[in-house]
Amino acid sequence: MKQKSGFIDTAMFYLLIPMVFAALYFVFIWSPVEKFMGAPQKIFYFHVSCAWVAFLAFFTVGYYSVRTLIKPNIKFHIHAGISAEIGVLFTTITLLTGMIWGKSSWNTWWTWEPRLATTLILWFIYVAYLFVRRMEGSWEKIAKLSAVFGIIGVINVPIVFMAIRWWNTKLHPVVFGDGKNQDGGGIEPPMLFTLLFCIFTITLLYAYLMRKGIEIEKMRHAVKKAKNKAINRLAG
Amino acid sequence: MKAIISDAWTIAGKDLGNEWKNKQTIGMMVIFSSLVILVFSFAFDPTNNMVKAVIPGLIWLITIFSGLLGLNRSFLSEQENDSITGLRSAPIDPSSIYLGKVMANCTMVAAVQIISIPVLFLLFDYRFMGEFLWFLLVLAAGTLGFIIVGTFLAALAVNAKNSEMLLPVLLLPLLSPLMIAAVQATRIILENADIQDAMSWIQLMAAYDLLFLAACFFLFEFIMEGS
Amino acid sequence: MTYLFLAYSIIWTLIAGYIVILGKRQKALKKELQLLDEWNTEQ
Repeated sequence: MKQKSGFIDTAMFYLLIPMVFAALYFVFIWSPVEKFMGAPQKIFYFHVSCAWVAFLAFFTVGYYSVRTLIKPNIKFHIHAGISAEIGVLFTTITLLTGMIWGKSSWNTWWTWEPRLATTLILWFIYVAYLFVRRMEGSWEKIAKLSAVFGIIGVINVPIVFMAIRWWNTKLHPVVFGDGKNQDGGGIEPPMLFTLLFCIFTITLLYAYLMRKGIEIEKMRHAVKKAKNKAINRLAG
Repeated sequence: MKAIISDAWTIAGKDLGNEWKNKQTIGMMVIFSSLVILVFSFAFDPTNNMVKAVIPGLIWLITIFSGLLGLNRSFLSEQENDSITGLRSAPIDPSSIYLGKVMANCTMVAAVQIISIPVLFLLFDYRFMGEFLWFLLVLAAGTLGFIIVGTFLAALAVNAKNSEMLLPVLLLPLLSPLMIAAVQATRIILENADIQDAMSWIQLMAAYDLLFLAACFFLFEFIMEGS
Repeated sequence: MTYLFLAYSIIWTLIAGYIVILGKRQKALKKELQLLDEWNTEQ
């Protein structure tokens, strides 16, 4: 069992390296430069992929939260926690690249565009979730509390998106069209291919990080067990 | 269901009775919200006409800031003599504890609003011109949503050592859609604009309230088990 | 063009940073586990 999971890790790692370089090649050299936005448009590929993974990670948290509540199991608890951690990473990347994108194409660091603003609030919910997990106490207690918060957080995300969208359209007209990544009709095939390839690569990266993180968390529990054993020996 | 509601009444009555005896939390909340108004009037010159535009936001800011104080207390006070164990082992449904706390907190925040909002209008020299009933409705919907989520998260946060700090961090991101809706609806009503514009915001608030009331009602059991 | 460069350098520094943090965690835990194991078998 252990050998097999180690093999999958190694295989994923060696698959990821060429894929990342291939993705970078596709983004920078192979795909055409967009006419209106120029080179900065190339931010878009990784920006969208990271955003996708950020939302995916969040729904993974929600999924494992529900499973934790149905049947408490340390495995689900660990999965949810690692997913949240990676989610914070990718949400941060999405926010920063989104800001750079905004600066380059609309000449402003921040706009209250629904997707960008939702991502910001998503980031805050993620961080709050990690704070809940840092509580003291037995893991059963933390698992229950954090799972409850995870579920409430997931319910909240679509409402946030809707609210910000209404808020924006009511206050001032939509200046930037329908947003940046709904240009499905006008996208050229090479661009679409590059985008899909980037999304796939980043999702694979997410899966790899998940596996690594889970392994480390399991090790942490092993250390805890060994510590308890040592203490028991001392006491006995 | 009937039993849950009657138990909830008992718990709300107990909390409010306690509060009536020493009036400490509610007094603090009123003073705090007045202080927030005071600080804001230093920050934005109240004689400036532009300030009228921030009144809807201010109403909700003082509600949330003072409400946070009360929410923190509502479960911390149960922990002091470990009364929470008593509540948990009582032969009642855990959801009735939640409902009772929501009722008690709602009454307290409403009581604070009755004082602090007129004070706000007074100090900022604001003449109320909107429709009063609609204003009350928006206020009620927003406050209810705030208390529904706030009470739930207060019960969650109380398990941590630094619960006073944890609660706002957990609560504010979850409140953001409600706050957008509440501030926009309040603005529309205070400007005496077409009520129809505010309608979609009020619907959003109602949906938020119902959704989270249902979710929190069912999930509260797990928090009680966990703590 | 500078924006593009900035964006991609941010992406990869963050991801690399996270991987380094993970590696550090793993190293520390491995060390601790080894120490404890030794200690447990010794006595």
